[in-house]
Amino acid sequence: MAKAFKYGLKGITGYLEPAERDLLRSLIDDVISMLEPEDRTGQDPLAALIGLDMDVSEPTDRAVKRLLPNVVKDDGGASLEFRQLTERSLRETKIGALRAAALDLDKDEIVLTPEGAQHWSMALNDVRLVLAERLDIRDEADAEHVHRMQDWSQAEDVESYLALVYNFTTWLQESLVQAMLQSMETRR
Amino acid sequence: MTISVAPGPDTQEGTRTGTAESTDSLTAPDIPWNLVIWNDPVNLMSYVSYVFQSYFGYSETKANKLMMEVHRKGRSIVASGSKEQVERHAVAMHGFGLWATVEKASGGNGGASGKSGGPRQGKGKRG
Repeated sequence: MAKAFKYGLKGITGYLEPAERDLLRSLIDDVISMLEPEDRTGQDPLAALIGLDMDVSEPTDRAVKRLLPNVVKDDGGASLEFRQLTERSLRETKIGALRAAALDLDKDEIVLTPEGAQHWSMALNDVRLVLAERLDIRDEADAEHVHRMQDWSQAEDVESYLALVYNFTTWLQESLVQAMLQSMETRR
Repeated sequence: MTISVAPGPDTQEGTRTGTAESTDSLTAPDIPWNLVIWNDPVNLMSYVSYVFQSYFGYSETKANKLMMEVHRKGRSIVASGSKEQVERHAVAMHGFGLWATVEKASGGNGGASGKSGGPRQGKGKRG
């Protein structure tokens, strides 16, 4: 069984079973593959170099759109303009955090620096956002319904399996954030 | 936000007033803009508070107050400044996975948001 993250002398530490690490690794890989910009031929190399992307469009996949939301509510035009300037680097930021977390999964005991912990919290959050879209969590009642699913012996279909995975990542992120808040308090 | 059994936020604040603003209206550079964080059922309350503390440098008390406002009212203005400043904050918030938008500070009931309520309305039927 995984151990909750805790803050102590070594920093923030956690422990995951090999199977749990494999699970997290594949979840992280999924999110990375959703975020990797498509390789477009014929794109202006200078524009790409400075992070501009004039061919960008609002994501059609709901989960991707939740990861890369519109910046102006009810204004697709202004949001699109903003995407052209910022989406590429936002994707890279997210992929960076996800990759950093995946690298830490290669070790038995996870020991995190403050920066590493932040990468982990961002990565877990993005994983949960994607799982929540797949589980169709639209409001707090849906979240509560999914949260009640705690028994792995009940996992009989994809949805209940996903719900258990979601609850596991929620628990893990909550324990991590508590450890981060504690560490922030100590450093103040 | 999750880890709560509280009923959903009151999504009826703010009313629709006439037509949506024109998107190409002239914007004077000194008009303040707001950074709005929206409630969603996924982000942990602790995480949202952590982001407000670590990114904006807010005290625990202030961060928790804003987080609870997001949770209860469905949205909260967590920072204001020039358009460039709040846009920079918005990208950072998106990096953290928070649901952030920017809007002009002037204009009473939440600026450009024509529709009332949170961004996650129209829930689909669960399968």
